[in-house]
Amino acid sequence: MKCLLRVLLIGVLLCGLSSCGKKGEQTKFPREKTLYLAGFQWGDPNTFNPLTDWPAFPVSGPNNIMYEPLIIYNTLSGTIEPLLARLDEKTDDYISLILNPEARWSDKEPLTAEDVVFTYEIGKEHESVPTSYVWDFISKITTEKIVDSSAGNVEAEKIVFHVNKEKENNPLGLLDILQSVQIVPKHIIVPLLEKHNNDFSEFQKEMMDKNPVVSGPYTLFSYSVQKIVLKRVDDYWGNKALHNNRMAKPEYIIHPIYKSNDQFSNSLKRGNLDVNSNFIPRIWLKFKDGVGSWYDEPPYFVPASIPVFIINVTRNPLNDREYRRAMAYAINYKDVIELAVSQYSPELKPGLILPFGTEKKYYSEEIAEEYGKTYDPEKAKKILEDAGYKSIFKNGELEKVVNSKGEKVPPVFIKCPVGWSDWESIVEIAVKSMREVGIDAREGFCDESLYWKCQPIGDFDLLMTTPADHLTPSLPWARFEQLMSSRRWKPEGKKMNENQGRYNNPDSKDYNPAVDSLLKVIPHLTKEDEIKAAYYKLNKIFIEDMPSIPLCYRPEEFYDFSTKHWTNFATEKNPYAPPQLPSFGAGRNMLWEIQLAE
Amino acid sequence: MFKKRPILKYILSKGLWYLFTFFATVTIVFILPRLGGANPVDIIMGKVASGLSSEAAQKKEEAYLKEFNLVKTDKDGRIIRDESGAPVKTSVFKQYFNYLCMTIRFDFGTSFLYYPKKVKEIMADAIIWDFFLQVPAIVLGWILGNILGALAAYKRGVFDKVLFPASLFISSIPFFAFGLLLLFIFAIVWPIFPSAGGYAENIIPSFSWDFLSSLGFHYTLPFLSIFLVIIGDYSIGMRSMGIYELGTDYIKYAKSLGIKEFTIMWYVFRNGLLPQLAGVAILLGQIIGGALVAEIIFSYPGLGTTILHAIQGNDYSLIQGTSIVVAIMILIANFSVDILIGIFDPRVRAGIKGV
Amino acid sequence: MKLLKNLMKEFTFVFGVSIFLLVLGIAFLSPLFINVDAETRIGMPYMPPSADMWLGTDHLGIDMLSLIIEGLRASLYVGLLTGVIATLLGTFLGIYSGFVGGWVDEFINMITNLFITIPYFIVLILISSALKEGRSLELIAVIIGIHTWTWTARSVRAEASSIKSSDHINLAKLNGAGSITIVFKHILPYLASYVFMVFIIQVVTGILMEATISMIGLGPYDSVSLGIIMENAMKYEALGDGAWWAFIPAVILITFIAFSLYTLNTSLEGVFNPRLRKE
Repeated sequence: MKCLLRVLLIGVLLCGLSSCGKKGEQTKFPREKTLYLAGFQWGDPNTFNPLTDWPAFPVSGPNNIMYEPLIIYNTLSGTIEPLLARLDEKTDDYISLILNPEARWSDKEPLTAEDVVFTYEIGKEHESVPTSYVWDFISKITTEKIVDSSAGNVEAEKIVFHVNKEKENNPLGLLDILQSVQIVPKHIIVPLLEKHNNDFSEFQKEMMDKNPVVSGPYTLFSYSVQKIVLKRVDDYWGNKALHNNRMAKPEYIIHPIYKSNDQFSNSLKRGNLDVNSNFIPRIWLKFKDGVGSWYDEPPYFVPASIPVFIINVTRNPLNDREYRRAMAYAINYKDVIELAVSQYSPELKPGLILPFGTEKKYYSEEIAEEYGKTYDPEKAKKILEDAGYKSIFKNGELEKVVNSKGEKVPPVFIKCPVGWSDWESIVEIAVKSMREVGIDAREGFCDESLYWKCQPIGDFDLLMTTPADHLTPSLPWARFEQLMSSRRWKPEGKKMNENQGRYNNPDSKDYNPAVDSLLKVIPHLTKEDEIKAAYYKLNKIFIEDMPSIPLCYRPEEFYDFSTKHWTNFATEKNPYAPPQLPSFGAGRNMLWEIQLAE
Repeated sequence: MFKKRPILKYILSKGLWYLFTFFATVTIVFILPRLGGANPVDIIMGKVASGLSSEAAQKKEEAYLKEFNLVKTDKDGRIIRDESGAPVKTSVFKQYFNYLCMTIRFDFGTSFLYYPKKVKEIMADAIIWDFFLQVPAIVLGWILGNILGALAAYKRGVFDKVLFPASLFISSIPFFAFGLLLLFIFAIVWPIFPSAGGYAENIIPSFSWDFLSSLGFHYTLPFLSIFLVIIGDYSIGMRSMGIYELGTDYIKYAKSLGIKEFTIMWYVFRNGLLPQLAGVAILLGQIIGGALVAEIIFSYPGLGTTILHAIQGNDYSLIQGTSIVVAIMILIANFSVDILIGIFDPRVRAGIKGV
Repeated sequence: MKLLKNLMKEFTFVFGVSIFLLVLGIAFLSPLFINVDAETRIGMPYMPPSADMWLGTDHLGIDMLSLIIEGLRASLYVGLLTGVIATLLGTFLGIYSGFVGGWVDEFINMITNLFITIPYFIVLILISSALKEGRSLELIAVIIGIHTWTWTARSVRAEASSIKSSDHINLAKLNGAGSITIVFKHILPYLASYVFMVFIIQVVTGILMEATISMIGLGPYDSVSLGIIMENAMKYEALGDGAWWAFIPAVILITFIAFSLYTLNTSLEGVFNPRLRKE
C-alpha cells in the first residue's frame, strides 16, 4: 500500500513538472524564430547602461540594434546611410543632420533633438562619461526646426554640429563620432541621475537591465552567465521609415557566451550558432557542414585593417632606420599568411594604405614598384651589410650581431599577449625568419595585463597591435594618425594614446614637420586629387622611415555563418550588406532580409 | 576541564591554528596581486582608451582610481594632487585597512574587470554551478571508488586483476585529456551529447521537463569526466589500505574467531576510511574553481574561468574575494576532517600526544 | 641484490620498467635513427601522417614527430625537477614535524595549510610577470613543487608519527641518541622505501600538472612540452578538423609515462610490503 502511494506521488510530481511548461509559459525559444550570434561578449555580462565604459553586448559599441547612433557608415560602399538622422551638409566648419521625425523610443515617446543634444552634452557636464572626448571635436551644437522639402514637406529638426577649431579641428574625426555615439533617452536617464543626486559614478552602477527603453529594433529580454537574449520590438519606428513596413525576421536574438575558441566552430558546424565573428582557422574545411563566409575562396574574409609591429625608435638598434628596414624585408610574409592566419589575407603590399576596397583610390602602384617585394631576405642581408652590421652564426643558428663600431647589438623582443593564437603564430614566424637573415629578434610573450600596461608608456622594443581596427569614415587617415602623430607628444614612461613607439620626436633635431602638418591638413581637404597627393606623400615617408612594420591584412570581423537554419546572408555574390554581423554597422540590414532555410 | 576531555583541547587548539592560517592567507592574498606591478586600472585603460586623446584618457583614469579608492580624496571628493599635478596614491597600509574592514563584513568590493558588478554577485551567479557539477561527482565517485577498492582488496582474484589495472590506467590519463577525448568522441564524431553550456542555448530556466532534461543532457559529459577519474583514484587508495588492513593481526584474529565476513569487512572499511577522508576533504575544499579545466573544455558555467581571468587581468577585488572564499572552504574542509579524526581515532580520544 | 631479484619476479615491475625505458629511449635515443628538427617548416598546417612525416605536421607546418620528441624531453625534465623539489621539502618537513610533534608540528601544519590554500596559479602568473624571461620550464617545476610538497609532507608525517612510538625508536632514545641521529639512522632508512615511492608519484604529478597548466594557457613561453603540444592542438582547433595526430600521440605518451610509473610504484609497494603480493 505504501509502495503504491509512493509511486503515485512521484507520478503526480512528474506530471506537474511537464505541465509546468504547457501552461502557456515559455520553456524554450522556438528555433525558427531565433537568430544565434556570437563573438562580442566575453565573460559575464556586467551592465547594460549605455553610459558606462564597457557594457555588455549589444549596448557596447559599435553594435546598434538597441541604442542607435545618428547615421551609419556603410563599409562596403563607403557611403553614409541614414538611421536616426540623415546627413545634410558637411563643410569644414560644421556637419548638419536632419533628424527623422518618425524616430521613436520603444515606450512610444518621440526621439527628438533634445535627446540628441542631451546625449552629447552629458559629456560636458560629467567627465567620466565615455563620450566626453567628443568635445575636443565639437565646439557647440545648435538645433532648428525646418520644413524638410526633400521628404514631402514635413516638419523636422535640423541639428548642426560645429567643428571645434581650437582643439582637434577635424571634421573627418567628427564624422567618425556621429556614426558611433549611441543616442540615449533623456526622459529615462535624467530621473535616474536625480535619484543619485547627480553623482555620475553612482549612476554608472545602474544596470538598466529590466525592459530598457530603446530606439532600436531589439531590446534586452533576459541574460545569465551563459547567454544574452534580445527580443524584437515589434513596432520599431524604422520598420515603416526605413524598411518598407517590414519587421525584422528573427523574433529573438540570442548571444551564447562561450569559454573557449573551439566552441564556436563546434556550434557553427552543428547549426547551433547562426552567425559568428570569432576567429576560426581553416574555415574551408567547415563548408561541407553548411558554413559560409563572404568569399568562397581565399582570403574568405574582407580585409580591413593592418596588424603591425610598432617599433620603439628610441632604443638601440631600432633607432637606426636601416636596421628597421632590414627587419621589414626579413619577415616571411607568405608564411604568415599561409600558416598564421589560415590564408585569410591577400598578399601584403608595402605601405599603410589598403590596395582594395574604399581605400583603393588612394593606393599608388608606383610605391609598390619602387619598393619592390615585401619579403626579400637577400635585400635584407644587403641592407644590414651596407649599414655595417655583421651577423655571427654558430652551428647554423644566429649567435649575435655586431655593428659597425664593433659593439654587440642587443636582442630586441617582440611583445605580444599570450593566448591570442593567431598573433602568437605571427610573432613566432617573424622571429624565425628574422633570425635566419641575421637579425637578433626574440619573442616577448607576456600576460595580457602587462601588455596593456606597457603599450601606452612605450615600454617595449617591438609591440604587436592593430591600429584603427574598425572601419570608420576617417580611414586611412586614422591609421596614419595612430602610428605617426607627434602632436600630443609625451616622453617614454608617460602615456600616449597614439604613436607609442615615439617616432618623430618634436624636440629632436631630426624632427620632420611634414608628417604632423599632413596629418593636420588631410581632414580638411575636399578635392580628390589633393587628398590622393597628400596620402602619397605620407605613405612614402612611412615606408622610408618604417616606424612600424605591417604584417598582413586583417578583416574587421571574421564574419561567417551557418546555413542550417537561416539563409540569404550577405556574401560577395549577394552583397546587399557589408560583411558585418547583423548587430552592427550596415550589417543590421540583414535582419530584414534573411530567410528560414527549408 | 581539558584534562578530562582531551577532544575539546584538541579541537580548540586546532581551531586556533586554523584561524591563524586564515588570517595569514587574507594578508598574503592582499599582497600578492599588488607585487605584480600591473595595476588593474592600467589594464582597464588599455581596453577603453583607444581613440581617446591623451587628456581625456588621463581624466578617465583618474575617475577610476578615485572609484577604487586608490588615490586620496579630500572631503569634497576631489582628488588631492602633488606639485606636479599627479594624484596622490593611497598608501598601501590604508588600502590594507580598508580591505580588512570590508572583508569582515563579507563585502569584497567591486570588480575591476566586470565593473560595475560587485564581486559577491559574480561569485553568487557561478558558485551554484561549481557545487552542482562537482559535489555529486566527487561524493558518488568517492563512495563507489572506495567500495570497489575494498571489494578488490577482499576478493582479489580475477576481479582485482581487471579492476586494478583499469583504475590505474584511468588515473594515468591526464584529466583534461580525458575530458577532451569524451568531447571528441561523444560530441563531435558522434554528436550524441551537446558540446557546450550548462543547458541548451534555446532553453529558459524554469521548473519544466524541457529545462531539466536539457540540464541533465549537458551535465553528462562533464560529470563523467570528473566522476570516472575520481573512482579510479580512490579505488586504488582503498585497495591498498584494504589489503594492508586485511593482513593485520587483529583481522587474522577476528577471522579465527569466526566473526561474520560482513562485520570483518566493516572493520576493514572503517579503518581504511580515515586517510581517504583526508583526500576527499581536500577535493571538496577545492570545489570553487576546481572544475576549471572542465569549464574550459565543455564551456560549462562555474567560477574557475572567472578566477583565471581575474588573475590574468590582475583584478584585485575579484582575486581577493574568490581566494578568501576558496581558502575558507579548504580550511573548513580540513578542519572538519581533523575533527572527524578526533572523534573516530581512539588514539586522539585517549589524549595520546603527537597524533 | 636480493631486492632486485625479487622485483624482477613481479610482472608489474617488469611491465612498468620496460614501458618507462621505452619512453626514455624515444626521448633520448631517437636522434640516432631519425632527423629531429622541431624548427623548420616542412609543409602546410595539419597535414596528415605520411611516409615522410610519420605523425604529420602541426599548425605551423612543422614535423609533429620531432615536436613530440622535444616535448617529451621537456616534460620529463619538469617531472624530475618537481619530484626532487617536492620530495626534498616534503620529506624533511614531514619527518621533522611528525617526529618532534607538539608545537612545532602544529606550526608546520599551519604552513602546510597555507600552501594548500593559496591558488598556485596566482603565484605562477605573478612571478612570471616579474621575471624577464617569463615562464620557463624551471619556474613551472618550482611552482608545482612548492604546491605539492604539502602532500608529501602530510603522508610522511603520518608515517613518521606512527613510527615514532614504535619500539626500536624508544630503544634508541633510551640509549641516549640525539634527535638528528635518530632521524637519520633509524627513521629515514625505515621510510626510505616509502619516500622513494612518494618521489615517483611526485614526478608523475609534475608531468601531469605541467600538462594541465599548459592547457589553461599558463605554460612555458619558449619551450615545447607535451602540455604545450596539447594546448596548441586545442587552440588551433585541430580536433575539430579531425587532425588527431596533433593531439593523440601526446596524450598516449603522457598516459604511458604515468601508467608505467604508477605500475612501477605498485610493484615496489608489493615488494616492500609483502602482504600486498598475491596471496
